[in-house]
Amino acid sequence: MYESFVGLEIHIHLLADSKMFCSCKAQYGDEENTNVCPVCLGYPGVLPTANEKALELAYTVAEALNCELSPRTTFERKNYFYPDMPKNYQISQFEHPVGKNGWVEIEVNGEKKKIRIHDVHLEEDAGKMIHAGDVSLIDYNRAGYPLLEIVTEPDLVRGEDAEIYLKNFQRLVRYLGVSDGNMEEGSLRCDANVSINLEGQGLGRKVEIKNLNSSRFVKLALNYEIDRQSLLLDEGKIVSQETRLWNENRDITTVMRSKEQALDYRYFPEPDLPPFCPSDDFLQKVKDRQVELPLYRKDRFIKEYQLTEDQTEFIIDDKAVADYFEQVISLGVPTDMVATWLSGDVQKELNKNNMKLLESPLSPERFAELLKYLDEDRIHGKLAKQTLSAVFDENKSPGDIIAEKGWEQISNADQVQTLIEQVLADNQSVVDAIKSGDDRQRGYLMGQIMKKTNGRINPQIAQKVLSEKLG
Amino acid sequence: MSQFTKKWVENLSTEVGRKRYRLYVESWEKKIGSFLDFRSENSSHNEGKLKGLPFGVKDNIATRGFKVTCGSKMLENLLSPYTATAVEKLIDAGAYVVGKTNLDEFGMGSSTDNSALQQTNNPWDINRVSGGSSGGSAAAVAAGLVPFALGTDTGGSVRQPASFCGVYGLKPTYGTVSRFGLTAYASSLEVIGVLSKDIDLTEQVYNTIKGEDPKDQTSIKPEVPTKTKGPFTIAVLDNISDLDPLVQKAYDKTIVSLEALGHTVVKVQLPTLEYVVPAYYTIATAEASANLARYTGIRYGLQPLYSENPDDLVQKSRSEGFGDEVKLRILLGTYVLRSGFQDQYYHRAQKIRTAIRNDLDRIFKDVDMLMTPTFPTPAFSRDEKSLTQFQQKVADKFTCTANLAGVPALNVPTIVENNLPVGMQFIAPVFEEPRLFEIARSLKDVFPIQDVPGYSEDWS
Ligand SMILES: [Zn+2]
Repeated sequence: MYESFVGLEIHIHLLADSKMFCSCKAQYGDEENTNVCPVCLGYPGVLPTANEKALELAYTVAEALNCELSPRTTFERKNYFYPDMPKNYQISQFEHPVGKNGWVEIEVNGEKKKIRIHDVHLEEDAGKMIHAGDVSLIDYNRAGYPLLEIVTEPDLVRGEDAEIYLKNFQRLVRYLGVSDGNMEEGSLRCDANVSINLEGQGLGRKVEIKNLNSSRFVKLALNYEIDRQSLLLDEGKIVSQETRLWNENRDITTVMRSKEQALDYRYFPEPDLPPFCPSDDFLQKVKDRQVELPLYRKDRFIKEYQLTEDQTEFIIDDKAVADYFEQVISLGVPTDMVATWLSGDVQKELNKNNMKLLESPLSPERFAELLKYLDEDRIHGKLAKQTLSAVFDENKSPGDIIAEKGWEQISNADQVQTLIEQVLADNQSVVDAIKSGDDRQRGYLMGQIMKKTNGRINPQIAQKVLSEKLG
Repeated sequence: MSQFTKKWVENLSTEVGRKRYRLYVESWEKKIGSFLDFRSENSSHNEGKLKGLPFGVKDNIATRGFKVTCGSKMLENLLSPYTATAVEKLIDAGAYVVGKTNLDEFGMGSSTDNSALQQTNNPWDINRVSGGSSGGSAAAVAAGLVPFALGTDTGGSVRQPASFCGVYGLKPTYGTVSRFGLTAYASSLEVIGVLSKDIDLTEQVYNTIKGEDPKDQTSIKPEVPTKTKGPFTIAVLDNISDLDPLVQKAYDKTIVSLEALGHTVVKVQLPTLEYVVPAYYTIATAEASANLARYTGIRYGLQPLYSENPDDLVQKSRSEGFGDEVKLRILLGTYVLRSGFQDQYYHRAQKIRTAIRNDLDRIFKDVDMLMTPTFPTPAFSRDEKSLTQFQQKVADKFTCTANLAGVPALNVPTIVENNLPVGMQFIAPVFEEPRLFEIARSLKDVFPIQDVPGYSEDWS
């Protein structure tokens, strides 16, 4: 009887090399307070200069999310106090964000759903507080990091939707190469809005849940919150408009601040930054950055290559893997074989060697070569696996390895004929037994044939010849 | 190089000259206190058009090796880690920074009495204020302690003290001089300006510091001026009232002189003038409330000996570090930006700002420049309490107009009576600074620049 409405605000760190408003390095893991300068520390007299690369990446995301791109994007000051925010205002966007009114598709239980995007805007990140006993330390390396916020309309229904949206979004930004989308390192963060109401009554009172740092917590927190609000309404109570936090130890949300304590950001135009008007060149660069998005690629793979859902999911998860896959296919290898090997044995080898596909010795050409050997029956499955291992160990082409080790299958009819005749001659008593009706001994003969050839004989041809000989 | 500039360079080129200079500055400083930090030993090795000229820098402009106190307790001990672009350009041209000049705290005030660090007196009469907020720069220039000084002008902070001290004071077109290194008070209004007793040097300094700066994205390359030679058509306001008799006298006399020099004077209406001050204070304080939010005592600045938590730290730092005028303006700015009140104050002020710009554009269609008194009174005295803080603000209407519109304006000294100089303000369209220098040169014969009693050219 209740309807729930969920909106997400996702923040991503853009892969822009330098900070949003100064030339300091935007990088993780460096020693505290080393990537700082008077500008990102908000020293008296310094001025921000907008990072054009970050703007390009921001427009790229807005374009991919089908937004109306702003022909004149402006910056505002968002005033609030936080010890790790050097200027005590954040340069953000309000009136004219880089993109507005977009949409993105997600797939929930096999059904496509359109999620509207309210806006995509740029801002700068704050530093990081480290609380150690009695003292609080601040690391400003992250202060000024280019941050992109993507705000959806309240089109998601339950935690599961939000989780799928989030994962899909993560995949999207990685595909576009604009962010590594890593939640653990804080380069993707998420706040959520949730409200419920009686069916058909529209939005209820909005509760914001802040700082959700994994897609699982997003699901848990939202479902908890929907249930909590439903119970309140059941009891005839009113949901209060407030900001809450997810407590991951107790699996509940708790109040952070109430409506009365709500912040007044006192937005006003940033007088230190002129509006940014993208040029035709700039917009062309944004267009050039667009790629086939994961969801569409998945549909296409299933249709074009007749792969299973699971296989496709595995392959398209990483754009580099999907690109690799298509490259191998283009070299004329059967698609199901590529998919099976990629998700199976190749993955095992990668795990074993702790490698990524693109940096492994298995180039698409080598992989195609190996699979062709298999496809043309020039090598059988077990040896193909050994060859794959050898490619990783020795960094040589499958052809060279197979030739060196003499692993190529014996498929030549005359050769097989001669070999089998020899084995039969050596095992006359077994042949006699079979001929007098003991069919169980056929397996033994087959084993002897394999043994004689170190398993290299083509089993199908061997079976065929053996049947002819024994009648 | 002008005669004025030549003498400075010559006099400083000898050991005797430098010693005399030091003693001269010391004796004046005891009376006027224009510098917060003066280093007579400084000099320059750079070749350039300004080679060998010392200059003063208002202490809200960053200069590496010096503090940048902004006249405040808050930043009393803050060393500048970098140098402002304008200062850098002057140093590159051969000039050198000889000291940092006093100012109203964070540039907020009309007297330099709002400095938390020191009192600056007017060299014409030490019982009077030197004007604000660039009062230190104006006093130092008038007393001959430096050939020129940099100031900053948010609502008249270069022109008004220049008028009070009888020197030239230029507020350039907004954006033509980089603001990088200027401690922000009201970013969309303020600009670095020049004070000097010599109009040619004023022009030369302006030409040196102007230009686009990659560190300031609001900076612009000045467009080529359209008309630089007189005679000019000059607009004056139709009904101007509430002027101090001396200012009224100077104003009338200037009009007569302009006509006598062959310029045409026409009367115009500036209906938006009455809204200038409220619009100015709304926008300036709104921006100030954000610009000054960074002073928390966390990274730099006044820090209390003990604090309970971050909030307590910030609160103590600000209550001790900021003076009343600064607190007043931050509160006002926070108030006008409150959600739900923006339309009533901030947005309305922005509309007035546009109207003022349109008003000036309309006037500049027919005339080359506009002349007004720079300030309704000459330098006021501390004893008489002649102007309350509120009256001082209301009196900013002539100067604030140029800041709201972003156009250039120049204070030109006129008469001096009873040791009280009076300046007139000339306002030109954007990028037309050369017209201002021309009109100043044209008036020089009628109103020659006067020296304060005790002024010496060679410090002997
Ligand atoms: Zn930086």
